[in-house]
Order: sequence, then structure tokens, then C-alpha cells
Amino acid sequence: MTAYAGLVLAVMVVVYIAAKLFKLSTELAMFAAALGGALAGGFGLPARHIAEGAMTYLDINLIFITATLFMNILKEAGGIAFVVRRIIGRFHRSRALLFVLLTVLLLVPGALTGAGSVTVLITGGLVAIVLQTMGISRVRTVAIVFIIAGLSAAAPPVSLWAMLTAAGVNMPYIGFFMPLLVPCVVAALFTIFFLGRRSGEIDLEKALQELPAPPQGMSWLRVAFPFVVFVLLIVIGRVWPHDTPVVGLPLMFLCAAAASYALSPIRLDFLRISRETIEQLLPLIGTLTCVGVLVQIMTLTGVRGLLAVTTVTLSVTLVFATLFIVLPVSEAVLMWGAAPVIGVPLVLLFNTMGLNPIVALAGMSVIWPLGDALPPTAIIGRLTVDVVGYKDAYTRFLKSCIVPAVFIMIIGTLMVIFSSELSFLTGL
Amino acid sequence: MTVAGNGSENRGGGAPLVRKLVLGALGVLLLVTSGLSFYRHRHLEEPVVLSDGVTEVKKLSDYFDGIRGTVNDCNVYFFEGAEPGATMFVMGGTHPEEPAARLAAWLIAENAVMEQGRLIVVLSGNRSATTVTRLGGAYPPDFAIPTDWGAQTFRLGDRWSNPLDQWPDPEVYIHYPSRQYLAYVDARNLNRTWPGRPDGTLTERTTYALLELIRRENVDIFIDLHEAELQYPVISTIVTHERGEELAIFVSMMLSDEEFNIGTEYSPKNLHGLSHREVGDASQAISLLFEAPEPFLDATRGRTTREQLLTGIDEFVMKAGEHGLLFEHIDESGWPIDVRVGRHTSTVLQTMEAWTELYPDRPLSCRGVPRYAEVIAEGLGHWLHDPSEAAPGRLVTE
Repeated sequence: MTAYAGLVLAVMVVVYIAAKLFKLSTELAMFAAALGGALAGGFGLPARHIAEGAMTYLDINLIFITATLFMNILKEAGGIAFVVRRIIGRFHRSRALLFVLLTVLLLVPGALTGAGSVTVLITGGLVAIVLQTMGISRVRTVAIVFIIAGLSAAAPPVSLWAMLTAAGVNMPYIGFFMPLLVPCVVAALFTIFFLGRRSGEIDLEKALQELPAPPQGMSWLRVAFPFVVFVLLIVIGRVWPHDTPVVGLPLMFLCAAAASYALSPIRLDFLRISRETIEQLLPLIGTLTCVGVLVQIMTLTGVRGLLAVTTVTLSVTLVFATLFIVLPVSEAVLMWGAAPVIGVPLVLLFNTMGLNPIVALAGMSVIWPLGDALPPTAIIGRLTVDVVGYKDAYTRFLKSCIVPAVFIMIIGTLMVIFSSELSFLTGL
Repeated sequence: MTVAGNGSENRGGGAPLVRKLVLGALGVLLLVTSGLSFYRHRHLEEPVVLSDGVTEVKKLSDYFDGIRGTVNDCNVYFFEGAEPGATMFVMGGTHPEEPAARLAAWLIAENAVMEQGRLIVVLSGNRSATTVTRLGGAYPPDFAIPTDWGAQTFRLGDRWSNPLDQWPDPEVYIHYPSRQYLAYVDARNLNRTWPGRPDGTLTERTTYALLELIRRENVDIFIDLHEAELQYPVISTIVTHERGEELAIFVSMMLSDEEFNIGTEYSPKNLHGLSHREVGDASQAISLLFEAPEPFLDATRGRTTREQLLTGIDEFVMKAGEHGLLFEHIDESGWPIDVRVGRHTSTVLQTMEAWTELYPDRPLSCRGVPRYAEVIAEGLGHWLHDPSEAAPGRLVTE
């Protein structure tokens, strides 16, 4: 069995590398690896398994799409620009407070959608303008936006790494809020204060000149009301769960999007925004779909079992000592596929060791996004570079990320090692 | 600026028409081929040749109209004994990814003849969950059991109701009536929705109907059959409501002494939605849940095949066991389906015997159902009857 599964795994790796050499996108390379694995495993081209695997993350994809649509409508309505301008107008004299508020602005979109790319696209560009008018170099600005965008994706309520791994071990996605929120906020604040330590006071006039102007009539009410709708739907579902119909997160985000659309002071082209949202998310939806197929074939052929049993029988010290490398590298290769493939066996191991699986998984979830700047995928890293308009060497950007990255790796690893002691964070 | 411009090197609007047509055709082929497989799985008819002891077959909707016409309106088999006694209700198919539970109930439905007391059997507690396999789990859609007359094919299902029948899931599942927070996906788990509610989801309405059955038929003992992965601590055991402690311990002692080791666990009072807790709390019945080992469910399993499902042989699960990561022993012989089914049939029969010793004025006795050693010696297929030779009116489908 070991030789068989090892051979199938080797074929999958070779096909993946070959597909990347042929310039196929990461999602298609994963799909090709899955097909190669099925063929090598003697299962032919199993249509049922391909289709079933592709549907594995349908619900998560729907959350992704509807949440991003909401954020995009808010941005097109001028809500984001309004908030950024009001914040710097009100708090430009207090650098520390401004840093805190900009961090919140960067954390919210990714936390709601589970995607760092949404943070980069929705608030990343605007926050970058503010940071640069505070005298922060462009390379440091890119690093700040990238690191906090990654942390926003790991932050609650939607953390795809935690959700995918928890689903893989039949663990409820409950009790993750504080274990994810605390390290994300701490690391995000450390990042902006560390990388922005040499900044000066903001050049308010210049900043306001460079930031897009919100349309006439935009107000705090118009920005806040859609969020109120979303929160209200969650609260109603929790307070009267047996007297209200099951709505589901995608429809809740759609309601928030509808509220934002209805309150927009300017007429919005809904179809264009929807189309652009899908175009924007297509690689990420494709990735999740192909990860589902890959995991299904790995499970079918026993490759998942091989990885799982190898991981759970490894020396614990070795696992702890290499988490900071294994997680980002797996993310760089498989993106979210790293969660079901690497995360599941690791959580099984931690669980059998008596560690708290929720806190340990939260710790891992904080480290994973760091891989989004590394090749071969580097999607979020490259996206951030483009959005901020950074033209210098990519390696310089990576170097500027080192200190915050090490800080995050230490926090994440310590959360895993001391997960039992930190179990109070789960509130369970 | 879009992610597409960065994330996908090979994406673009200039794809030649031929390439688009070829990819489109492949997509349609995948859709049709997989669609046929899903359709066949959902509509596979499983024959049940009624035992001579079956005196009536009802529908679950006879107890609650709210599930009439739904996929979960399952058959309910009644076995009236020659002499009066207590009433036992045995249910398989709570989690249809645990085939020994359904198959043990099947053997009872096709072979049991009650001599004293009354027996009620359900083979597909969550019929919706028998029509779907685990996303990402790579389960086979069905499996075949060799019999004396050929092979009989059964659906393999999932732990949760089919999303085609109940969707979307809530943001968080809040159990009724305890208001305990559970995983959102467990809104479709039949063993997290007891005692159910009449105006709830399909799964909640199903448990409500089952509880109505238990109440109205004055069931004395309710048995929920299950299987568990070897990495799960609650395994090879009887989980009992506190009112069934004496009975469960008695059964466990007798079986461990004479047939195989089986433990006893007590139903936690603060864990809600499970049959061993809620049925015992909400009805007159003693509620028991039996767990048999199923290596197919282990996350460390190797190839996910019908063979593994039925033999329970798995090198990787064995390796996990060698490292002390399991709660049940496994060796080269695995956990064959005959062993798992035999454990369940013997435990049911032993429960009848123990009950009769504890409550001799309300006895339960049954003949025709094979015990552990018999199922292993002959193979469970030996007790499945040929549908083509069923007497008129004695063949139903699940």
C-alpha cells in the first residue's frame, strides 16, 4: 500500500510540475495532477469522483462570491473612499490611532470574505495611498498591505484554512473566533507599527488629493446600514433559530449587497459589478474547485492516507520545528489545498497528542497566508505589488516582510505548542 | 486590476474556438457521465424480502404527516409475536456511511420471527443520506454482498442528509430545544436533531416522526445501530441513557464473556441531539446506541474502495494502531463486514435476552436471526433472500 500510494503521489507531483512548466495556471496544474493520480492509481478517469470533488467547496465558493460582491458594491458606491477620507480627516494628527484604524480597514474585507485578495482590491490601494503620504516607503507599504491582507483572510468569521481543515476532521467550525482574532489583530498591529515606525505625520492635503472623492450624499449611515443588515440577519438566526427560516451565509451577504446597492448615492451598474466580481474571483473559485477534485482523488487512491499516517507518526519535535516552513511552502504550492492535505493530518496528530485542536488549527491558520507571497503561486504577493504600484525587485518586497513574517511564525507555532493552555480562548 | 491578471498565467480571451468547443464537449461528457452515476445511485432500488415474521409494513408518515411524500418517508416493519411482551425498536441507517448498521437491520427484517413481544425495524432512518456520498470522501456509490443466489447491491450513503433535500445549512446549527450550538453541517445529521420538531428541517421532522412512532407504539427499548472509525474513542460499545444502565451492563457482560468484547458508555447529559440522550429524555423508551468498528471511516485509511469497505483491511490504519493512535485493535484480518454485522445482530438478540431476564413479565424472544458466530461462519449474504423467489406481497424496496 505504501509503495502504491507513494507511486501515485510521485506521479501527481511530476504532473503538477510538468503542468507548471507548460505555463498552466495553478488550478489547472492541480486538476492535471488529480487526473494523473487517478490514472496512475488504476481508476481511469473517474467522472463521478471528479464531479463530486469539484462540488466539495461549493458552499464556501458561494460565500466567497456573495461577500466579495457586497464589498465591490460598497466600493463602487464610494463607501470605502468615504470611510478612508473621513478617518484621515479626523485622525490625521494621531499617527498611532490612524495606524489602528487603517489596520481595521485592511482586516475587515478579508475577515468577512476569507480572501486576502479582496482586502487588497477593496481597501489595499486606498490604504497604500494614505501610508505613502505618511512617508512610508513603497516597498514597506506593499509589505504592510500584503501581510495584513493575509492576516485578514485568516481572521474570523470566515477563515478558509480553518474551515477546510475542520471539515476534513469532522470538527465543528465553532470556538475559532477568539483564537483567530487575537493573533491576527496582534500581528497586524505589530506589522503596521514596525514597518511604519519611521513614518511622519500625514500630508493631509496631498492624501485627500490622491484619494478618490466619494459621490455627493455618501454618509456613515449609507456605509454602515448594509453591515447592520448582515449582523441583524446573523443575530436573528441565533436568537430565534427555531422561528425563522434558514437563510445561510451566502444569502445574508446578498441581502447586505442589496442594501448597499439600494443606498448607493449614485446609480450602479449591477450586472457590470457582478461580472467583474466573478472575473476577479475566477482563479480563486477555480482553485477551490480543483483542490476539491485533487483531495477527492488523493483520498480515492490512498495518497491522503499516506500523508496522514506519515504525519501522525512523525516525531512531535520535528513537526513543531518545521511548521513555520511546511505551512507557507504548502500554501505556495497548493494554496487552500494545503488545508485539507497538510492541515487535516496535523490536526489529527495534535488531537491524539492531547493538544487543543481548535487553538492549534488557529495557530496554523495564521502562518499559512505567508505562503501567498512565495512562488510558484504568489497570487496575493503579486497582486499587492501591482495594486500598490511597486516596480522594484520582488525579492526586496519579500525581504521587507521578513520581520513581521517571523513574528507571525513565532506566534502561530507557540499557539500550536501551548494550545491546551490557550484553550480558554475558544470559550467552549 | 483583477486577480485574474495575476493568478492565471494561461487565461485570456483569445482561446481558439476549437479549444473552447473541445473543452466544452469534455465538460458535457463529464456532466452526463457523472450525472448518470448520481441518478442511478439516488434511484437504486434495494429489495427487502420480508421475513415470515413481518406482520405489517407501515410508512413513517403514518406517525407524522409532515414527512409524507418526502425522501425520508421510510418503511417501518412490524413483527408481532405469538405471545405478548415488550416492544423493541431497532433502527439502521441513521448514518448510511456505516453499512453494518443497515445490513444488520436488513438481516433482522428478512429473518426475524418474534415468539414473545413485538419488534419494530427501520432500515433507512435517514433515507435522504443513503442517496449521497461524502464530498471529498471518494466513497463508492454502492457495494455488493455475495449471497447464495448472486449478489445484492446496496447504496452507500453519507453521515448527513442529501443537500438536494435540505439546503442551505445555517450559519451555525442551534439544537432544538436545548439551544446548544453545533456544527452547521450537523443540521443535516439525524443523530444531532433528536427530538426533532414538527415545523423544522427535513432531518428534524424525521426525528420528530421517529419519536412519535416510539411514543405511540409504546416502545420499551430503542436501539440505534452505528459504526465508528478506530480513531474515535466511542467504539465497540453500547452507549446508554441512564435508564438503560442496568440493561446495557448486563448485555455487555454476557457478550464479553461469551462472544466478543463490548463496553458500555453513559450518554453525556450535556451533549444534545443524540438518540441515546434525547429519546431517553423525551419518551418512555430506554435508548441504546451500538457502535461497531469501521476502518473505512478512518482519515488515515488507504485506498477508498468497496473492498476496503467490506474487508476493513487497511495497512495505514494498522500503522496508526502500531503507534497507539487507535481506540480499537486492528490486524491483518481487518474488520470484515460479517464480523461487524454479527456484532450488531448478537447485541440486539442479547439485549432481548437480558431484558427478558430483568423483566420476565414482559418478555422479548426472537428466532431466525443469526448470531455473531453464525454470520461469520456462513457470511451475511447467506441470510439475504432471493427477491425473485419472494412470495407475492412479501417483497418491498427501500
